[in-house]
Amino acid sequence: MSIYEKVIVIGHGKIAGEVIEHVYKSQKKYNYSMVYIAHEKTSFKSAVGICGRLHVPYYTIEDEKELTCYFSHAASRCLVISAGNHYLFPEIVTENPNVTIINFHNALLPEFPGRNAPSWAIFENEKETGITWHYVMRQVDAGDIIIQKKCRITPDIRAYELTEKLMRLAYEGFSEKFDEIIENRAMVKRQILPVKRRIYKSTDIPGMCRFNLDDSPEYIYRLLRAVDYGKYNIFPQVTTQHQRKEIRINRYRKVLSDAIEEKAGRLYLPLDEKYLLRLSWSEAG
Amino acid sequence: MEEKVLNLLREIDEDILTFEGENLFEAGILDSFLVIDLVAELEETFDMEIDAKYVLEENFKTKEAVIDLMKKIIGNIE
Repeated sequence: MSIYEKVIVIGHGKIAGEVIEHVYKSQKKYNYSMVYIAHEKTSFKSAVGICGRLHVPYYTIEDEKELTCYFSHAASRCLVISAGNHYLFPEIVTENPNVTIINFHNALLPEFPGRNAPSWAIFENEKETGITWHYVMRQVDAGDIIIQKKCRITPDIRAYELTEKLMRLAYEGFSEKFDEIIENRAMVKRQILPVKRRIYKSTDIPGMCRFNLDDSPEYIYRLLRAVDYGKYNIFPQVTTQHQRKEIRINRYRKVLSDAIEEKAGRLYLPLDEKYLLRLSWSEAG
Repeated sequence: MEEKVLNLLREIDEDILTFEGENLFEAGILDSFLVIDLVAELEETFDMEIDAKYVLEENFKTKEAVIDLMKKIIGNIE
């Protein structure tokens, strides 16, 4: 039996959509009402589309003050599922006795709390990362852990690929634990927080998105992969200096050593015996 | 050009080519991550940069939309 009268999903992207579908399918079993909050502007509105298809009510609340007001005035017991969400729940919301919040974080907490965790995991040359579903408290990403799932960081993986892998793990974890959460019987593990805890901010940039051409090609490749979210401008474009000119890296690719093409705006750096790192660049500014 | 685009779409997911609906994202065939892959492959195939302003759902929601987008971008370059 659910202890919650209402389930609110907030977030965007694939994980939010999958959570909405799962919560919707469980609605009859637990008899709660549900709603989706679209908070962030995105180029792809798949979660809203899913709500339309399933006839799940949704609200667009872009203003953070309005959002805080919405949550802090929750009158009935509700479960808030934060999935792919960047809104930080302030104390007035986390302290509302009617509101229980669970959040998906794309790292193995207490490692890499804050923003852009997949990027930092790649940049810091981690071999493994994962996801955490946890209860939300006032401190960022510090709440009790409900479930964690691990995955390998493979040598060529890019930030957006790792993010997608983590979203799939997130849904796996969510579907395993949802019934326990909604019935308030999920076993949790308290986080042991390091004394000096770095919380990564959205303004923190791996390597400042800059390298020198005499840095190791392995480092340069790792930096490029760590900040690679395609055309979604999470980070600035990576720059360096070449032949006394400021250049920006438009594209990069690991290619076979015999695949050199002499073309303007291309640089090749040796990664190992078999592969080169091909950089396509243009002048900056 | 059209054939190259269709080949790339086929590599991403064959269902894109047979889809006759209005929106590949709502049908669950495409998502924002696959769009990143697709844009990267389009840039590699045509050896060009695709400006971020073009990476919107409306430009990728059907195979026809993707072809029209490439015609527009290549037309602007030429």
